[in-house]
Amino acid sequence: MSAQTDPAQRVAIGISFGNSYSSIAYTTGDGKSEVIANEDGDRQIPSALSYVEGEELHGGQAKSQFVRNAKNTAAYFRDFLGQQFESIDPSPCHQSAHPIQHGDGVAFGIRDTDEDKENTVTVGDVTTRHLKRLRSSASDYLGKDVNAAVITVPTNFSDAQKEALKKASTDAGIEVLQFINEPTAAVLSYDARPGAQTADKIVVVADLGGTRSDIAVVASRGGIYTILATLHDYEVSGFKLDQVLIDYFAKEFVKKHKSAGDPRENDRSLAKLKLECEAVKKALSIGTTANFSMESLVGGVDFTATINRTRYDLLGSKLFAAFTRLVTHAVEKAHLDPLDVSEIILAGGNSHTPKVASAVRSAFPDSTTILAPSTSSTAINPSELSVRGAAIQASLIQEFELEDIEQSTHPMVTVTPHLSTAVGVLCISGDESSGIFHPIIDAETSLPVRRTATIATPREGGDVLIKVAEGSRHIKVTKPESKPKSEKEEADDEDSDEDESDEEEELREKTWKVGKTLSEAAIRGVKKGGKVEVQINIGADLSINAIFREVGAKGGIRGIVQGHKTNGST
Amino acid sequence: PVLPEGWAGEKDFKSIGQLSQATDRNIEPIGPHFLAYARRKRHQRTFSEDDRI
Repeated sequence: MSAQTDPAQRVAIGISFGNSYSSIAYTTGDGKSEVIANEDGDRQIPSALSYVEGEELHGGQAKSQFVRNAKNTAAYFRDFLGQQFESIDPSPCHQSAHPIQHGDGVAFGIRDTDEDKENTVTVGDVTTRHLKRLRSSASDYLGKDVNAAVITVPTNFSDAQKEALKKASTDAGIEVLQFINEPTAAVLSYDARPGAQTADKIVVVADLGGTRSDIAVVASRGGIYTILATLHDYEVSGFKLDQVLIDYFAKEFVKKHKSAGDPRENDRSLAKLKLECEAVKKALSIGTTANFSMESLVGGVDFTATINRTRYDLLGSKLFAAFTRLVTHAVEKAHLDPLDVSEIILAGGNSHTPKVASAVRSAFPDSTTILAPSTSSTAINPSELSVRGAAIQASLIQEFELEDIEQSTHPMVTVTPHLSTAVGVLCISGDESSGIFHPIIDAETSLPVRRTATIATPREGGDVLIKVAEGSRHIKVTKPESKPKSEKEEADDEDSDEDESDEEEELREKTWKVGKTLSEAAIRGVKKGGKVEVQINIGADLSINAIFREVGAKGGIRGIVQGHKTNGST
Repeated sequence: PVLPEGWAGEKDFKSIGQLSQATDRNIEPIGPHFLAYARRKRHQRTFSEDDRI
């Protein structure tokens, strides 16, 4: 405890701090990340604090106080940190303590002592108390005093918000080693799995949370990540999905018990409905039917009902479609096509819902992998993605001096040139028009970079010319043969819907358009069926250093194309 | 592609064009590959120098 800043004394964990839920994770000796459950056995710990007669309740215990002790329960406060009171949206707090203005910032008025008076507790202090509880849960589990952490934040978290979170963490006895972005943490947790290979791919991380949805398009290039576009939405959320169920069950209740009144019009009944509906939603992610049951829902009337998944999918269909639209918008925002996306990582608690995955699935081509529990057996629990990423990052940097970490994350280091077009070789024919472009390094790859590829040579062998060129990706749209039209004439009175869907089915494929040729190299006397290994190094100054060698042969051709910066100086 | 007749270059290599201007973007400071990159950048090492260590 005496030397908290001494890296040798550090015990670091990963923390994901959300508006609705928080989690904690550590990395085992053999490099696997493990999510820690708190004393209640929860891995997803509700970000809530409640006070009963001066006693502090945390997590799930605090959440259940929404019903009987809502005024002294603070929840959904993450996005209030470091914010002006005017700029916050207090609507998630309707069922708990309302945020109030306190100086420049936000606070809650809650009775947090056994005295009968209300205290003003700033959001920073609430966060500190919440983080303290998380820290003690982690310390109890690990048997060591946890004193450092990597914390995940949304990509649109401002510096003021990070500063406020850093202060709250320091007050809770946690040294913040680094703030990392939630989407990249999710990508890292997949890439860090044993046996996973880092590849060059475009990954979309779609996080459907409780109070907000965040989409990020990430270029993953050999384990280095660049965020190309982000999208945030506060309308499409898990809360709205809960609301769909609340409305459904409330209507069912009113139908059966006309005299008892609408449970949505009574605060306590609404709180009960909300808690139970969230549980029903979770149950529907696992099973195909779920039971709703609540004692004394309103007016002393008990209520039980069941719902099946098909009904829920139907009720929430607008929201699922809206979420899918968000994902495709984010891809458009990055100036990409769905065909460019190799993977979609579904994150956030609501990604457990099978319909969320299938709705997104339907908007993307078959070549895109959807990583969600219902579409992939190897998927990681969507609720645990970012915290696992944070735990891995924490284990990587916990031995570094804080100064080293700060220097490494400085823009001097992180801002790098990225290729604007793909670089590859022309295969098959020397003629540019008939040549086929074989990309070796994709666009949006950060420099410097080195990639090696093996390409086939003409069947007969002999002397071979290798051209290195730039290539840009195009989407080729081919309409199917005009068969439907002729059919239309023959069968005029057939259902017109069918025809429309036929016409819409155009064939989209990725093609490469060859751009500038960069260099040519000759390899003489290649054996029949021989292969050529091409290694391309591109420096930060855009110079290309290429090596061409027949597989199995000695020597090879080496060549350098000068970059812009070297050119400018001479 | 087959080598066309009469093609010649210095040491069988010909530099023809230059890469288009690159775009500056922020890479995410996370993961083992980034840390390796940051180490190289801060110590001004190249890939091959890094491999030898």
